[in-house]
Amino acid sequence: MATSKGTNNYNRQQWESAEFPIVCQTCLGDNPYIRMTKEKYGKECKICLRPFTVFRWCPGAKMRFKKTEICQTCSHLKNVCQTCLLDLEYGLPIQIRDMALKIKDDIPRSDVNKEYYIQNMVSDLRKTLIEVFCKYFCISKGEDSDLLMKLARTTPYYKRNRPHICSFWVKGKCRRGEECPYRHEKPTDPDDPLSDQNIKDRYYGVNDPVAAKLMKRASAMPKLEPPEDKSITTLYIGNVPAFITDDDLRDHFYQYGEIRSIACIPRQQCAFVEFIKRADAEVAADKTFNTLILGGRRLNIKWGHTQGRQSISTPPTTLSAPPIPPGFSAPGRMEEKVTSLGLGEAEELESQFCA
Amino acid sequence: MPKIRKTKKKAPEGWELIEPTLEELEQKMREAETEPHEGKRKVEALWPIFKIHHQKSRYIFDLFYRRKAISRELYDYCLNENIADKNLIAKWKKQGYENLCCLRCIQTRDTNFGTTCICRVPKGKLEEGRIVECIHCGCRGCSG
Repeated sequence: MATSKGTNNYNRQQWESAEFPIVCQTCLGDNPYIRMTKEKYGKECKICLRPFTVFRWCPGAKMRFKKTEICQTCSHLKNVCQTCLLDLEYGLPIQIRDMALKIKDDIPRSDVNKEYYIQNMVSDLRKTLIEVFCKYFCISKGEDSDLLMKLARTTPYYKRNRPHICSFWVKGKCRRGEECPYRHEKPTDPDDPLSDQNIKDRYYGVNDPVAAKLMKRASAMPKLEPPEDKSITTLYIGNVPAFITDDDLRDHFYQYGEIRSIACIPRQQCAFVEFIKRADAEVAADKTFNTLILGGRRLNIKWGHTQGRQSISTPPTTLSAPPIPPGFSAPGRMEEKVTSLGLGEAEELESQFCA
Repeated sequence: MPKIRKTKKKAPEGWELIEPTLEELEQKMREAETEPHEGKRKVEALWPIFKIHHQKSRYIFDLFYRRKAISRELYDYCLNENIADKNLIAKWKKQGYENLCCLRCIQTRDTNFGTTCICRVPKGKLEEGRIVECIHCGCRGCSG
């Protein structure tokens, strides 16, 4: 009779079997010794509804047992953990990651369409995996992953693995008392938008409240506005480690455009980088603001004020450069003045900048 | 109605001394069997059965091995009539298993990873002052 699991594969959804789960670090927990059970065709995938191999383990003491919720195919298609459906690289919701990396994914959501799509993906698994690799790994090494890196957590968030709230305790009827493995805590506010999340919405990257919250946080992050005065092409750089030299800075900043001059003041742990073109300076500011780390320290990038290094954004007490003698409109034009005024003045200025 | 006898033989001497207690335990068992399951977990409904079964076997075991108050004949009679569980008593004679709650808790084939039940872990080894009630028989720790 054609009733065994293996019969009638033609144009049908293949049941999935796997050897090892695709799971992120937080879901696995803090204990390096884990015992995991494997159940072939244990449950239906929450997204594509095919039976798949379910892995189940305990992510640490006093944690609830976690198991894989979606099948490996679905998790490959989005490059996410099988249990928490967060990105494997950044640990961020699919919606945020796709927005930042500008990935447009058209996985159909309705029944037969979805089955057909998944079926095609499964039938040529190698090709699928190559496509996925190109999509998520080649792109994310580019520039747009900066936002994602800033939003990503640095340490694992084990609170996700805690047991659910004891609903009996909430009603006052928990008879298990001390022995109860569920949490005896106040449940989260039902008005909180984070409390109604839906696995399908989270997977397709639509309507995800966590993503919305992160986006608000992202837009609230400090941004560096270019100054109105269009002739300012100088960037002030703070928190410069003492051993960083002009050349180090030049090596980094030359990629944004031609540098007019670099001056660094190791005593004040700051430096000034001036570009010839304003556009280059803006690009440099965008790319390095809050992201550039040199010598182990994150550099504090700000715009310089007015032409010349007269007043600076941070405490100006010890650092006020002498007022520019008349006849000098911009330090950049020093070259032509040098020839007319002689070397003496130029040397004096130089020594003041790079003391 | 009086309990069904397995063999045709009459009870040996000394039976009348232990019969009232055994009858009481039987009565408790019948009550446990007919209790409604409301308000209890699925597994919790079976715990009294295991508890009373343990109590019955314990009574006979204590009478013979500890207090030596009954004869070998009477003891064998109780085992043959299945008043006490002879497999459970066999475990009680082993070192470390003197207080074993039930036979399910040492059955490694029943667990996912081939271990015994959590109630078999001595309280000293079980850190964090954790209270456990094993799912098989509701035992809170039967070793150590």
